[in-house]
Amino acid sequence: MFKYALKRILTFIPMLIAISLLSFVISINAPGDPVERLSKAAGSEGSAEQQSGASKKIKQELRKKLGLDLPIFYFSITDLAASDTLYKVQDKYHKANLEALTHQSGNWRAVSDYYSSLLNLQKAHQKIDAKKIVANDSSLSLNIVNEAANQFGFEIGSLLETSDKTIIPLKFEKMNSLLQNHVFLSDLKNPLFNVQQSREGLFKNATRWKTYIPTISWYGGKNQYHLWLLGNGKDRKGLLRGDFGISYIDSQPIESKIWQKVGISFSLSLISIFLAYLISIPIGIYSAYKKDSAADKGMSLVLFVLYSMPSFFVATLLLLQFANPDNLSWFPVSGIQDPTIFDPNWNLWMKLKHRMPFLILPIITYTYGSFAFLSRIMRVGMIDVVSQDYIRTARAKGLGEGKVILKHALRNSLLPVITVFAAIFPMAIGGSIIIEVIFSIPGMGVEVLNSILNYDYPMIITVFTLSGFLTMVGYLVADLLYAVVDPRISYK
Amino acid sequence: MQNTNENFSFKKYAWAQFKKNKIALVSLYLLLVLVIIALFAPYIANDRPLYAEYEGNTLYPAFASDTRTDSIHNSKGDFIQVLQYDITDWRQLDLTSVIWTPIPYSPGSMDRYNRDYAAPSGKQRFKNSDGEIIDIPSKFRHKLGTDGIGRDLASGLIHGTRISLMVGLVSMGIASFIGIILGALAGFFGDTKLKMPRIKYWLTIFGVFMGLFYGFGQRKYILSQAFSEGIGDGMIAMLASIGVAIVITMLFRILSKAIQFEWLNKEVSVPMDTFVSRGIELLNSIPRLLLIITITAVVERSIWIVMIIIGITGWTGIARFTRAEFLRIRSLEFVQAAESLGYSSIRTIFKHALPNALAPVFVSIAFGIASAILIESGLSFLGIGVPDDIVTWGSLLNLGRQNLEAWWLIIYPGMAIFITITIYNMIAEASRDALDPRLKS
Repeated sequence: MFKYALKRILTFIPMLIAISLLSFVISINAPGDPVERLSKAAGSEGSAEQQSGASKKIKQELRKKLGLDLPIFYFSITDLAASDTLYKVQDKYHKANLEALTHQSGNWRAVSDYYSSLLNLQKAHQKIDAKKIVANDSSLSLNIVNEAANQFGFEIGSLLETSDKTIIPLKFEKMNSLLQNHVFLSDLKNPLFNVQQSREGLFKNATRWKTYIPTISWYGGKNQYHLWLLGNGKDRKGLLRGDFGISYIDSQPIESKIWQKVGISFSLSLISIFLAYLISIPIGIYSAYKKDSAADKGMSLVLFVLYSMPSFFVATLLLLQFANPDNLSWFPVSGIQDPTIFDPNWNLWMKLKHRMPFLILPIITYTYGSFAFLSRIMRVGMIDVVSQDYIRTARAKGLGEGKVILKHALRNSLLPVITVFAAIFPMAIGGSIIIEVIFSIPGMGVEVLNSILNYDYPMIITVFTLSGFLTMVGYLVADLLYAVVDPRISYK
Repeated sequence: MQNTNENFSFKKYAWAQFKKNKIALVSLYLLLVLVIIALFAPYIANDRPLYAEYEGNTLYPAFASDTRTDSIHNSKGDFIQVLQYDITDWRQLDLTSVIWTPIPYSPGSMDRYNRDYAAPSGKQRFKNSDGEIIDIPSKFRHKLGTDGIGRDLASGLIHGTRISLMVGLVSMGIASFIGIILGALAGFFGDTKLKMPRIKYWLTIFGVFMGLFYGFGQRKYILSQAFSEGIGDGMIAMLASIGVAIVITMLFRILSKAIQFEWLNKEVSVPMDTFVSRGIELLNSIPRLLLIITITAVVERSIWIVMIIIGITGWTGIARFTRAEFLRIRSLEFVQAAESLGYSSIRTIFKHALPNALAPVFVSIAFGIASAILIESGLSFLGIGVPDDIVTWGSLLNLGRQNLEAWWLIIYPGMAIFITITIYNMIAEASRDALDPRLKS
């Protein structure tokens, strides 16, 4: 059995790599730029001048720290036209646009010329000082100058992010007319001319055939995935050594975030599974004892109906009935504690006593979700076992019905129930998202949902990988338990 | 007795067994009712009347397209007004005779006189054609109440039927397609039965890679362009991409025939079963709801995309059942007969073996539909995936959760979800008993 377990554990490794890859692929396709979000959270959002200066440097450092300046994976499969240094471009939208342009033209050199000419134009545009212009030419008002300059800047910004063949000429037209109407923008004339020139170069020197030839570019060990999985030997230790990275929402280490939240989710699922077993096993026994009686048939129908009832509906009904001033206001609506009374220095008993009313409805909902399912399995399993030959033998040799059911049948009917046990651990790490949201329980479910909605992908990947790992461990434990319960099963 | 009947067929037997289960039969009829409601939703709940007589013109507004615009002239030929069907408030018009739909509200239309959760039996107001605000006439009463912005709940439920049935159909359609094909291949070929020359094996893998490159990598921008124009265009472009991928794979397979070397032509077996089983294991070890929420957060918000995602993540159960059936079937005489007659594997699998494997698979599809509906309503309940302007049962229930005083927004949508799921589960359970008596519980 030990050998079997070891063999199973070895198969975990490729599976875990596959899971982490899958979640990695999903998360790199997420919209938005994590660095922008993090720097915004840090409060460094400011005017255009500020952004170009200090905050740009901060962003660069942040990007480097998170490893976002590295290529994504060990290799990338692209076409011959695509550049293998594109990952060095920092802005996510620029990157996507350059990729699209390269696809149109097939000539990376022309595209990078176009890009750098656009950046030059942007630089020239940033040098325009409205106050100076107004000081030199008193016939102009500051508003007009600012507006024209802003409009020009806007057009540059959108050119940097669009590859649409019909929009680009329109933007050029607009910029040219701005130049014509406003003499003070004349510094931009040459850079704009360069941009238009290089834009034409995109198609003059097009090598579209290159986009039809696939290539693999190799980046080696310096990539984001490698950094995340194995670390870089310096500040990052990598997932395999227990470092999950930092959250993109608040720069907190993922590990501490998970430890803070996992307790409540884990205890809720543990309590509820325990309660569910407590209810469903007697039901199974009873059904087998009184098989085909009216009570059994009625119970099976009720269980079936309960099984079809979505737990979020049950939860909302409970809230409607028991946490609603219109009906019965027995329990609080949300949360797990009352912040005005709750004192973190209380001992365990006090905390428990204080939280009990908050937790009763969630526990009922949690239990309900697994209870209906478990009872049905238990009932079917029990009836199946009772109709087997060895039970008939047991009865034939004169054993009492109670002894037959409890001693001979119960143990074998526990097999399918064990499978459910395997689901507890992954449930704790993923949390039950819907139930936690309904009752505003600050557990893993809400945490995971928040990180998904905010594209906090270090957290998402960690949760995926951890819950994948725990699911596999759960299955393994269940398989080993089978052997304990049923001596006929052996893994040799 | 039945077995000796000459006309005995398994289908007839199964149907007779199914009919014995009265609850399941009732469920089947209820499902039919749901389908009818879904099909005729625009004629059951609509702002626009079915038939209206206006200034001597006979109009059928509910049957017209949304964008229709009519110039209305009276019987003398004088111009009265331009009627734009979708924005006209038909209740305000002076209609000489009119037939309203049973629920005279569209799911999205906001009744501004009954905002802020008008209760089903509470006070509701109405603006008549003279412009006076009066107590609501019983015809126009919101019989199941309204939500915070005055949308009629009954109408939302009727149109929500459409979405929930479609979710079941589309997502399980996709899941069955993937699951049955993969399961059949895995079960029929196992790890050793599919043999091909080494060069063909390699070139097939290479061909799949090239097919994906030209079908999807190359056409990335065409695809995203098409999807941004609408789901229909997107689907056509998607099919074209899949077509390109298949054609290129085939080309490489044909190419492999041209290459003749002894070592390269040696037969190797393709571990089909391992591929599929690992895939199933992988998908099963990620919590499904978590995976679905993550993907929906990354892609655009659309009900179609939600259905597709539920479909692509939901095929594992079907594949497992199909695989198990094929493992059993492939050693039966009729499959061996088909093989010894020299039929191709594809023909044996899909023409001879598959029809005999479908019974248990059908049951798992029916259970799958129930869980797809459950997942979609769960997502809408969380406000994820489905756009805000689409009214679904889950999103209505969510409105009720946020305002517990509006009990009608909890009870009715919740019951709708619950009943639909029960119906599917009942049918699935009864057909399992009917199709496979061994599994009877």
